[in-house]
Amino acid sequence: MLERITQVRQEAEAEIAAVNSQESLELYRRKYLVRKGAISQLFDQLKAVPPQDKPSVGNALNTLRARVQELYDEKAQLLQQKPSEGVRLDLTLPGRKGFRGSRHPLMQTLDEIKSIFIQMGFGIADGPELEDDYHNFGALNFPPDHPARDMQDTFFISKTALLRTHTSPVQIRVMEQNKPPIRVIMPGRVYRNEAVSARSLAGFYQVEGLYVDAGVTFSELKGTLVGFARQFYGRDIKYRFVPSFFPFTEPSAEMYITCFLCKGAGCRMCKQTGWLEVLGCGMVDPAVFTNVGIDPEEYTGYAFGMGIDRTAALRYGVDDLRLFYDNDIRFLNQF
Amino acid sequence: MKIVHSWLQEYIHFSLTPEVLAERLGKLGLEVASITRPGEKYKSFVVGEVLSCERHPQADRLTVCKVSVGGEVLQIVCGAPNVAPAQKVAVALIGATVPRDQHDPDGKPFVLSHVALRGVASFGMICSEYELDLGPDAEGILVLDPKAKTGEGLATHLGLDDIVYDTEITPNRPDWLSHLGVAREIGVLVKRPPKRPSVRLKEGKHLLRKVLSITVQDKKNCPRFAARMIRGVTISSSPEWLQKRLRNAGLRPINNVVDVTNYVMYECGHPLHAFDYALLRGGMIVVRQSAPGATFTTLDGKEHVLPPGSVMVCDAEREVSIAGIMGGANSEIRETTVDVVLEAAYWNPASIRRTAKGLGISTDASQRFERGADPNCVEYALNRAAALIIDLAGGELLAGKIDVCTKKLRERVVPLRISRVNSLLGTSLKKNDIMSFLGLLGIATRQKKPDTLACKVPTYRIDLEREIDLIEEVARVYGYDRIEAKSRAYVILDQPFPTKSLPERAREILIGAGFSEALSGSMQDQFRARIGGGEPVRLLNPLGVEMAFLRTSLVPGLLDAIRRNQNFGNPDLRFFEIGHIFRVDPSFPERIVEDFVEEERVALALTGEAAPRQWSAPARKADMYDLTGAVAEFAEKLSLDKARFISYSTSDGLTESTLSIEIHGGYAGFLGRVREDILSKCGVEGDVFVAELLLSSLTPRRKMKYEQLPRYPKVRRDISVFIDRNLALGTVEQMIRQAGGELLVGVNVFDVYEGEKAPHGKKSLAFSLELISKQKTLTDTEIETAVRQIVHALESEFGATLRSVQ
Repeated sequence: MLERITQVRQEAEAEIAAVNSQESLELYRRKYLVRKGAISQLFDQLKAVPPQDKPSVGNALNTLRARVQELYDEKAQLLQQKPSEGVRLDLTLPGRKGFRGSRHPLMQTLDEIKSIFIQMGFGIADGPELEDDYHNFGALNFPPDHPARDMQDTFFISKTALLRTHTSPVQIRVMEQNKPPIRVIMPGRVYRNEAVSARSLAGFYQVEGLYVDAGVTFSELKGTLVGFARQFYGRDIKYRFVPSFFPFTEPSAEMYITCFLCKGAGCRMCKQTGWLEVLGCGMVDPAVFTNVGIDPEEYTGYAFGMGIDRTAALRYGVDDLRLFYDNDIRFLNQF
Repeated sequence: MKIVHSWLQEYIHFSLTPEVLAERLGKLGLEVASITRPGEKYKSFVVGEVLSCERHPQADRLTVCKVSVGGEVLQIVCGAPNVAPAQKVAVALIGATVPRDQHDPDGKPFVLSHVALRGVASFGMICSEYELDLGPDAEGILVLDPKAKTGEGLATHLGLDDIVYDTEITPNRPDWLSHLGVAREIGVLVKRPPKRPSVRLKEGKHLLRKVLSITVQDKKNCPRFAARMIRGVTISSSPEWLQKRLRNAGLRPINNVVDVTNYVMYECGHPLHAFDYALLRGGMIVVRQSAPGATFTTLDGKEHVLPPGSVMVCDAEREVSIAGIMGGANSEIRETTVDVVLEAAYWNPASIRRTAKGLGISTDASQRFERGADPNCVEYALNRAAALIIDLAGGELLAGKIDVCTKKLRERVVPLRISRVNSLLGTSLKKNDIMSFLGLLGIATRQKKPDTLACKVPTYRIDLEREIDLIEEVARVYGYDRIEAKSRAYVILDQPFPTKSLPERAREILIGAGFSEALSGSMQDQFRARIGGGEPVRLLNPLGVEMAFLRTSLVPGLLDAIRRNQNFGNPDLRFFEIGHIFRVDPSFPERIVEDFVEEERVALALTGEAAPRQWSAPARKADMYDLTGAVAEFAEKLSLDKARFISYSTSDGLTESTLSIEIHGGYAGFLGRVREDILSKCGVEGDVFVAELLLSSLTPRRKMKYEQLPRYPKVRRDISVFIDRNLALGTVEQMIRQAGGELLVGVNVFDVYEGEKAPHGKKSLAFSLELISKQKTLTDTEIETAVRQIVHALESEFGATLRSVQ
């Protein structure tokens, strides 16, 4: 009897492999698992087994039935997963899409700059683009009738109103309204009366930074900007600070970094110098502090500024600044 | 300014290579933008001697020359009429790049190759002044000095084998606008000051005062005016060495007297002017302001209307020079000049700048005076020039000089605290370091108090007035690179964490909704600036009519963006822009500057297909409702308030079918279809739907706050009704909400039908109603009662008939 059970088990295990459709699966079920099936017939023969063998034979039969049922269930599940009528769904058809929104590359660049300074503890401030002469020039220590004003060709609106030529007037507005410590960056649009070309625009974006507190040093200005440059341009950059002139800072400097295109070897982008000028900076001139009612003996500070358009152009390799304002989606969708 | 290497060497010896010098000057803040070697152009050009000339056998106008170029004799065919034996000429050898092609309309350069001219081989070219790019003369060949050495490189002969540094100078350093000034900075590098040439003058017996008088009426603008006079000069061209120097510095040699004034200006930085004494009427000079509306012809032959307040140098009867800017044609040095009056003055920088700006001219002299010359250099410049003129043009110096000096300028003494230097720079420099740095700049220091140095500043450093100016000098000489980059990034802990600004959040929402961010220019033409509404701001000095006004709306910029993309085959567009608009409105309360209003706005525009083309849905053009939906979503997310859309009965200048948008119960902006005529003027095709909102009106009035979730499920019932075709959906919806009471939490129209199956004058509206109770699960009876109430209200108020409830 036990031999017969083993034989049926071996047959059932061998046959299940050949089952590959619902039809053959049904045949398999009918052969083994229905009331008149092979296993039921074996159960029927249990009556004829001597009583002392009944428990062991009964056990073996139960195991056999469980085993075959398991084989059947597994196969049934497997067959279920297969589409029954071949491949009718073309899964390579594209998914349904909506319009793709995009953040302007200038704003992406500005966002990165902002997040670096925010993480250093800077806040954000803004001010009007249509400014008065005092905030744009006078308070920033540009004397009237001074050639320093020629550094920034100005669009005038009236005798004393103009389009701001830099974001620095926001410095004045922030210092007029707040007491030190002050630590902000000030992004925004600025205007220069210059012919529009691939390399120069009449309206563009700048971001300005200001930190005023007791004991702020030039050394710290360098440290902060080097930290910024390493985060923004890469850890391995080399840098240098070169004396410059801005009426509202003294000492004034321009920061250069090694050209990231040629790694300092000299190329078209860096005009063969290996260096790129990335920002202007300096210690807030005491005259500016006096103009906003901050005592320059008590407080010192630094300020810096950079053009977003030029920075973004360098970063993304854009060779014509006008592309930023053409709003061509072929361009915008690249970012 | 162009600085000539050999010229610098006159005043200071240094052995730095040009590239190293440029870099090290750059680190001191004196930027060398480029280094040029003008002689490089003439690498394959030599001085040749014409040995013989023969008529070309085939062409009358050509000459076959034998030309010695030192080692060998070349056969050269020449077309110039003036070629003759024994001449010294400039020869381009085969392979030379000739700077200008006489036969090319643009005078482009060309490479000289082997040619046969009418069958006669030519092994070089004898060049004209034009071909060499040395002057305009293209008629004949350039004949060189007979003393020129045959075979010598042309660059060497012309004195062009020099090195020229093109410097870019910040407006605070007029002292760098001279060779001596740059030499002083080199002195910082080599730790040795430059030597200024000493001047020895021999005065004659005749007294200057007897023949010339000077009166300064405008003392404010002319603090110093000095003059000398040389009698009996011979005007001619300057010697080669002087011409070479001037040419390399980018100046055109004129004659020996004028060249000397330019030379001395480029040497020590002080502009001079020379008058022909014979043309000065009345033997007198008067400095005064111009008469209103007066005109004046400068020595370049141009007539100018003088701006009010122009300071003029005059003789007894008329103006002879625009002070500190440019001399007059009526008194300039000419070939016949015999007696020269030399002027050296110091002018008020602001006055020079106003006049130069008013005239729209900028000269070597005005650039120096408006930045600030050294008043104490007047005497040196005057004497140096007088001595050079006598050297080069002969003549006798009259005895004495006239020097009207209303204000003597003393060397400024500026106190400097050592502790302040270190606390500002973050350094730990010692007193002796600081003293030696300043010493290299010619600033004498003396210790006054333990912490304070008294610093005596030379008068040519007009930029050093305050302690901070000296601190910058210390930093410069010490080296910015040597100041340690310390960072002490720390957070101010008592400040709230910066939250995202409104524009930043607006940007995020709109990008997420599939809009591309655009940025357009703020300056527009009048047409575009006027369609936005409001009085546009006009620029006083625009770049052109297309950019003469400031935008009053962001929409015209977006229309231009749409046109551009349509032109490139991309007509399906969704744009937004966040930016400032401007207008003139003296009555607006929140003005910052004068009568001008500035607002930050956000605009949306969509056109073309409602969605990108795809296989699973039919194409549909975007319409008003695509935009209304986007704006409603955007406004609600940003402002945390529902936007209300109110239909305008009239159309404004920009759009038709306009809705006005209300947020927080106040006007926030508008939405509509752009008018046909505006689209066609902007060159845009198809419908464009736009919305523009005042960004600040979207500021949330409440904080985000958790509201308890309903504990019971929501049920939905759909009803459809026939209703008066002219009823606006908004009105119907409002009635439904009112009738539904507090159980009704959502009303959503999902079908609008106005076809033939609707009774005359009616339309079918289908609404999906959402009902919920806070207290319990609603029973069917309660739901039916609520729906019946709603239907009843529609029936009794609007005469609606129920079609179905589901």
